[in-house]
Amino acid sequence: MRLSFRVAAAVAATALAGCTRSSPPPQAAATVKVGAVFSLTGNAAAYGAQQKAAVQLAVDEVNKGGTLKNLALELVLEDDGTNPQQGIAVFDRLINTNKVSVILGPTLSTLAEAADPRAQAQKTPVIAVSNTKPNAITTIGDYIWRVSLTEAQVIPSALSTAREKLGFKTAALLYGDDDAFTKAGFDVMKSALEKAGVKILGIQTFSTKDRDFDAQLTALKGLKPDVLLVSALVEQAGSIAVQARQLGYAGPIMGGNGFNSTKFIQLAGPAAEGVLVGTAWNRASNDPVNQSFIAAMKARGTDPDQFAAQAYSGILVVAEAIRQAGFKGGRDDIRDGFSKVKDLPTPLGRFSFLPNRDGDHPAAVQIVKGGRFEILQ
Amino acid sequence: MGQQIVNGVFLGSIYALFALGYTLVFGVLDILNLAHQAVFMLCAYFALLIVLHLHLPMFFAFPAAVLAGGLLGLGVERVAFRPLRGRADSNVSGLISSIALATVLEALALQIFGPDVERFPFGIVPDRTLHLGDAVVSELQVVIIAIALAMLLALTWVVRWTALGRRIRAVAESPAAARVLGVDVDRVIAASFFVSSALGGAAGVLFGLAFNNVSPDMGRTVELKGLAVIILGGMGSMPGAAIAGFALGLVEVFTVAKLGSSYRDAVAFGILFLVLVLRPRGLLGSRALREA
Amino acid sequence: MSGVGGLGDFWLTYQSTVAFVGLNGLLALSVYTTLSCGQLSLAQAGFMALGAYTSALLTLHTSAPFPAVLLAGTLAPALVAVPLGLPVLRLHGVFLAIATIGFGEVVRIFFVNLEATNGALGLVAIPQRAGLAGIYGALAAALFVLWRIRGSRAGYALEAIREDEPAARTMGIDASAYKLSMLVLGAAFAGLAGALDAHFSFMVAPASYSFGRVVDMLVYAVVGGSAAFYGPVVGAAFLTLLPEVLREIGGRLGLEPGPLRLFVNGLVLLLVVLFLPNGLVSLPRRVRRYVAGRRAEAHAP
Repeated sequence: MRLSFRVAAAVAATALAGCTRSSPPPQAAATVKVGAVFSLTGNAAAYGAQQKAAVQLAVDEVNKGGTLKNLALELVLEDDGTNPQQGIAVFDRLINTNKVSVILGPTLSTLAEAADPRAQAQKTPVIAVSNTKPNAITTIGDYIWRVSLTEAQVIPSALSTAREKLGFKTAALLYGDDDAFTKAGFDVMKSALEKAGVKILGIQTFSTKDRDFDAQLTALKGLKPDVLLVSALVEQAGSIAVQARQLGYAGPIMGGNGFNSTKFIQLAGPAAEGVLVGTAWNRASNDPVNQSFIAAMKARGTDPDQFAAQAYSGILVVAEAIRQAGFKGGRDDIRDGFSKVKDLPTPLGRFSFLPNRDGDHPAAVQIVKGGRFEILQ
Repeated sequence: MGQQIVNGVFLGSIYALFALGYTLVFGVLDILNLAHQAVFMLCAYFALLIVLHLHLPMFFAFPAAVLAGGLLGLGVERVAFRPLRGRADSNVSGLISSIALATVLEALALQIFGPDVERFPFGIVPDRTLHLGDAVVSELQVVIIAIALAMLLALTWVVRWTALGRRIRAVAESPAAARVLGVDVDRVIAASFFVSSALGGAAGVLFGLAFNNVSPDMGRTVELKGLAVIILGGMGSMPGAAIAGFALGLVEVFTVAKLGSSYRDAVAFGILFLVLVLRPRGLLGSRALREA
Repeated sequence: MSGVGGLGDFWLTYQSTVAFVGLNGLLALSVYTTLSCGQLSLAQAGFMALGAYTSALLTLHTSAPFPAVLLAGTLAPALVAVPLGLPVLRLHGVFLAIATIGFGEVVRIFFVNLEATNGALGLVAIPQRAGLAGIYGALAAALFVLWRIRGSRAGYALEAIREDEPAARTMGIDASAYKLSMLVLGAAFAGLAGALDAHFSFMVAPASYSFGRVVDMLVYAVVGGSAAFYGPVVGAAFLTLLPEVLREIGGRLGLEPGPLRLFVNGLVLLLVVLFLPNGLVSLPRRVRRYVAGRRAEAHAP
């Protein structure tokens, strides 16, 4: 029947295409394949670009530094397109065709919730380097680990530091209700505000496709809050800041993790001045590991942001896990190695895993001054 | 309250401008050109490129982008609609081919410009603000509303009082009859597309300026809202599109203010639905519904 | 890469693609049902969402067996299609298309705002109860139903309505009843696909049921060809597999996979609408005619 012949022909053609995929050049030493799935296109592409640059740097440095004896890391990078179906397909390919030992990513929590279960089911460790949704991700299973601090770990301390400096009593909230990450950020902001006894005057939402926030901002501004908290992805964060200032809202604005990107400053321009952002990465830290990371990234043409720092640290954690497992790079070796990582020096500070496989290291608050992120001292 | 009215009028002016182009083509050809939103998006990028790379001010970039929009419209008509002219199901197949062309254009934009959001450089337009009572209006917003109104008036004038307008109306009534009367139908259709897409392009540049946001998918939501606007206003009615555009802008803004932003989009589609079910010809549409 | 091991890995990598081919085929058929009587209905993403959510909720909150869950997912949108169809099918052509687009969006927004289903974040951790067997079984069942309709009196009636509705009515065909039935059938197919997808992809989220999704379904149906009842499945297979094949080529040319896939979809659709209006399934006939014509020329005196 015509139908089955066509489908069969198409499948056969794809099979041929798959079989002629080029294999990596032969290495003198043994290689450990490290997969990385980031959003190189789509809504989260700004973060993905930083992550890509950082892991490439980290892999090069680990290989040059020879700390893994005769093992070399081989990076296999894929794009999830900020699309869950694509993320699932890409995970399958990395696990079964490329046969990676571990996967870094994906960029957004929404995608992680779709794709990580497949890695768990196929016993491949995943190390999340930018998923910040609390009480999730690592709960998928024992192969899923996390370097990035959750919003629940960053926001409350950032909020209390900000409150010490600025002393606000009332707040308004604006958040994106159709993304796992921005919604989780909102939940944490709300509970942190309530715990601190700050009165919430109003809450507004938007969708990741929105470009116009005038209506919501006008409504919130009318309530005269002392501070405006916003949980948004970077592309909208910029517009929100600009539109808020344009409408005449002069009070402080505090953003969640989505604001943690130089792209935000680029998009918001003068409106970014004075915006506060909780951060998992203290870029002003004088720790030599941090400083040399920043210098090396800049030498490669990228001014690093938190996403870069976390992705870079993710590779360091993977390398350490391999070391702890006795210089073995199998999937279970790496998983077991993770549990032995303690006080590892990274740009994020001394890193360890918590018993629930989430990450643990100190957090900070930033303020935008003169077009740059600075630590709020 | 006053501020929300300003917000609503501002948003509405962009919706109106976008919908005008949609409804013009529908009035003439009984066809929905879903590539309109791609032209909207490409013209915003075009203006952006002129500003960023040729370092010319908006004063030049805007008309250039509008002109480019018109030319793109000619291309759209030639590629996606003209070859289908004779066919029996040309409305539906035209719809589909315009969707296809829009997808191709969006893919090109994605490949060339990347998926990131861009913005016009700061200071490209004056950013002084004015105060009307307790409302804040930026100069940019005033200019945008003024341009939208000016284009609406210009279009109405062209259609009502120029020779081209008469020919457009003749073709809209009946292409066959118009041809018999000596009207070059092909040219009139091309001209309609030119004007329609020029309007769409203008809307795109203004949108990009208004919301500091130019990205390959910026046309998608506006496209769907645009559908609600032309249905509400009445397909083929230009004053209808204008009024409905402003109405939708205001309704959306007040929905957000009173009910919260979750229902913002639902309002547009709810209106769309109610109108189609209860009064398909919309507010000012006078054409009888033609068969598919 | 060779041997059984290689093919096994290939299978594991691409099994989700094969599954999506089946699902997309079913979705394409759901658009086809209304196209077959001349109506362009674009509500299928909304129906798919209803099927997906209904079935996911049942699985997560009750211990209903999978077949029952699937049945619920199929019936829920079918039931909704009736009150939708009655007013909406009075509209024609573009107006019907727009009204159904509106319906699809309203459903999506409804789910975005429904706290009980986590709003925009949707439901996750749905156990994977649907596999290739279930998906292709459903697809086969749908094809069977359409095949039976084709050959029956109903099939001729649908054809007549598609050709010329007023004429069909004068001949005594109850066009409204047929159109409604096709809408309901299409809703059932879409709901079934939604339920299967939910139980294959671990999650349901409103973003998957957008206007863009139903455009994809339309593209499959049109590219495959709506003249034959299996046409849409061909289109779905072609367009689901093509990007995978092109990924290699695109990568070597330095093209991004996202834009490339969009571009190919759009270009194929455009070419088909302009030059091959009856879709890919009409290609063999056309080639045969062309070849026969050439042969006749060669033998001409």
